[in-house]
Amino acid sequence: MKKILLILSTILACALSAQAKLNVVATLPDFGSLAREVGGDKIDLVVLAKATEDPHFVDARPSFVVSLRNADVLIDGGAELELGWLPPLLQNARNPKIEIGKPGRVQASQGIRLMNVPTNVTRAAGDVHALGNPHFTVDPIIAKAIAQHIAQSFSAVDAANAGFYDANYKKFETAINAKLQGWGAIMLPFQGQHVAAYHDSWPYFAHRFGLNIDVFLEPKPGIPPSPSHLTDVIGQMKAQKIKAIIVEPYHDRRIAEKVARSTGAKVVDFSQFPGGIPGTDSYVRLIDVLVSRLADALK
Amino acid sequence: MNKFILIGVTTAALASARAQDSASTPAASPDLENLRQQVQALTETVKALQQQVKDQQVAIEKANGNAGSPPQNPEPSPIAAAANSPTPGPSAPARFQTEDTSVVASTAAPAASPGPGVNANETAVSGNFPTTDTSVVSSAPETISSTGAGASLTQPISIGGGGKNYMNISFDGLFALAGSSARDLDHIEVGDHDPQQRGFNARNIELAFDGAVDPYFEGFANIVFKLNNDNETEVEVEEAFLQTTSLPFNLQLKAGQFFAAFGRINPTHPHTWDFADAPIVHGRLLGPDGLRGVGAQISWIVPVPWYSQLILGVQNGRGGTGYSFRNPGDDGMFFDRRTTDRELRGLQDFVWIPRWENSVDLSPTQVVLAGISGAFGSNETGANSRTQIYGGDFLYKWKSANAEGGFPFVKWQTEFMYRRFEAGRGVNESFPVAETFHDWGLYSQVLWGFKKGWVAGIRGDYLDMEDSKFTDDFERQSRSRISANLTWYPTEFSKIRLQYNHDFLAENFFLSDRDVDSVFLQFEFILGAHGAHKF
Repeated sequence: MKKILLILSTILACALSAQAKLNVVATLPDFGSLAREVGGDKIDLVVLAKATEDPHFVDARPSFVVSLRNADVLIDGGAELELGWLPPLLQNARNPKIEIGKPGRVQASQGIRLMNVPTNVTRAAGDVHALGNPHFTVDPIIAKAIAQHIAQSFSAVDAANAGFYDANYKKFETAINAKLQGWGAIMLPFQGQHVAAYHDSWPYFAHRFGLNIDVFLEPKPGIPPSPSHLTDVIGQMKAQKIKAIIVEPYHDRRIAEKVARSTGAKVVDFSQFPGGIPGTDSYVRLIDVLVSRLADALK
Repeated sequence: MNKFILIGVTTAALASARAQDSASTPAASPDLENLRQQVQALTETVKALQQQVKDQQVAIEKANGNAGSPPQNPEPSPIAAAANSPTPGPSAPARFQTEDTSVVASTAAPAASPGPGVNANETAVSGNFPTTDTSVVSSAPETISSTGAGASLTQPISIGGGGKNYMNISFDGLFALAGSSARDLDHIEVGDHDPQQRGFNARNIELAFDGAVDPYFEGFANIVFKLNNDNETEVEVEEAFLQTTSLPFNLQLKAGQFFAAFGRINPTHPHTWDFADAPIVHGRLLGPDGLRGVGAQISWIVPVPWYSQLILGVQNGRGGTGYSFRNPGDDGMFFDRRTTDRELRGLQDFVWIPRWENSVDLSPTQVVLAGISGAFGSNETGANSRTQIYGGDFLYKWKSANAEGGFPFVKWQTEFMYRRFEAGRGVNESFPVAETFHDWGLYSQVLWGFKKGWVAGIRGDYLDMEDSKFTDDFERQSRSRISANLTWYPTEFSKIRLQYNHDFLAENFFLSDRDVDSVFLQFEFILGAHGAHKF
């Protein structure tokens, strides 16, 4: 028995000492991208959800348990977007380092004022999120706040490299501040314009750039578009002269194309996540692409 | 300025007049009088300053071309005015900049803006677009404390599903409308929560609770109500257990009443199944209710690069939910033996349930999970009769990289079970012979989620029960079955399923002696907490 224990503890010791870099798990690719900005090559990063799949419904794969078991830091949204798949993974991962309240746990929604918090929670309204709309990272100002959280967490867990993380955060902040001027200028001519979207993922983006993304192909969040609802949408789009329909990689693009044909609007491929559409391997490049694509469509 | 002097002079005059008045009253001390005068003078000064501030504000607004906006503070209280007067307060620059910069003004315009203070532009960059926004980021995030204690957060933080409650509560109603060519559907369908009669069935109405008990444990409970064929309500404490959260060395302990971790189907609740009824091998070898009982279980995630978990459970294994083990049977009979119904004699009378499961990702869209399980214990057909069950299970799942709502996907699941059952001679050696049954069976099913919310499935069942010249129990009949179904999930909280079963029973005199066709229309709703989906 002692021998077995000895062998086991040797295996554990090996497993522990092998990790020179900080093991970081991000539930979603946007958090992963911010973690990479801050952590650079000092972290080993695992992103659970794919950039192209619906973040509401990710399979709780057993391999995720292994990643979470080994994590020094976990970054999740904290706004119930991952509610359908993260809890059983965390139950099984049994990793006290990433419990809520520990420095190894970043809940990105901390300190963020979520928009569209429902006053009444009823599923008759579709897949509403009780804490508010969880698709917040697409606002660059919010992204900075999340990156700062991440830098603080990394510094707390890996104090030796605190200066490195802090410097990277500052670099990111400066880059975003500079970029915002350009993005703001590009979007300036379209202030107050109405834009349609397949799903209500864009209130934060709209708020930042002064748009009204308020017509949705889904009759209610998560409910597939019905013909009668689409008829209403087409009428509304024509009345408001809406020129663009935002779709994400996992939405049924054919439905958006059909609506586009009836209204003369353009289908614009958007993604909340870096990597969800081509040429968006970093957060800054994602917003670059989103802003320029939307501006092209609205011209 | 003239006005100021005028006020000053008037004040002085008044003060001197008052001084003369009070001098005539002997009770008032000269000190008190002095104070009074000073207060009076100060009040006048403040009033004068107030006026000045007002004038200046009007001037500024005019200069900014914002004359149309209503005056901010028509009647300011002296205190507020005093606070504003010495130096511009913290709110002042934000207002000025908001009004000054063209981009800021337009960004502030959308009605969605939760708060007015949009620009607290402390990092003065060259352009005008705001780079901070106090309306969305509510605090400078210095709130993560390195100790993890007491982070002062403005946003309520929830454990997934926890919200602001101490526990999640959900309610699940699972019903079926059944049609069958068999008159005794309760003999054809092997699971206790399967449709058990022609017509409507309500076999699984479930209350589920879960939540964090304290920093060390999580608690779970599932209470099932079911209506029997006479519409009488039966209650089952299906599961009620606690589970540790923070044991070292990747260990986890579970204790209470729970489903044994045997294979894929057994540890799951009927409403999560992909078919309206239990696989035959599951119902006949592990039992109509599955293998569950009061006990404890320890599990260990093996520290290897892939997912590998070792589980060892131990349960009493007594009664109908320990079907192949210490089960006294209906009316004290099991496989035609009169059963002993004895107390636990030692460790050998527990059911021991080991399991080893492994999973790898074949690609970013493909996952494979394979496991082997065992269940070992005593049974009640003889003083020293033993039962051993072995199982193997395999799951393959593909899910599109562009999945919406989890669709499209393809899932293939297969389970194989083998049981060695020592059937003794019953209590007091009353049965003529002792036999050993070697029974085995398997099922294999493929589910195809072809469109958001829609799943088509097909399943094959096979069960081989060892022939016995001494018992013709209907639960010991070899049989096979094919099933096909189509399920629509309007949302993840409801489903409607149409299923067709064909049971090959033509040569099975004890069950039917002809093939049986059955159709089930199953419907389900879930209220309450968002159930998370296990893999």
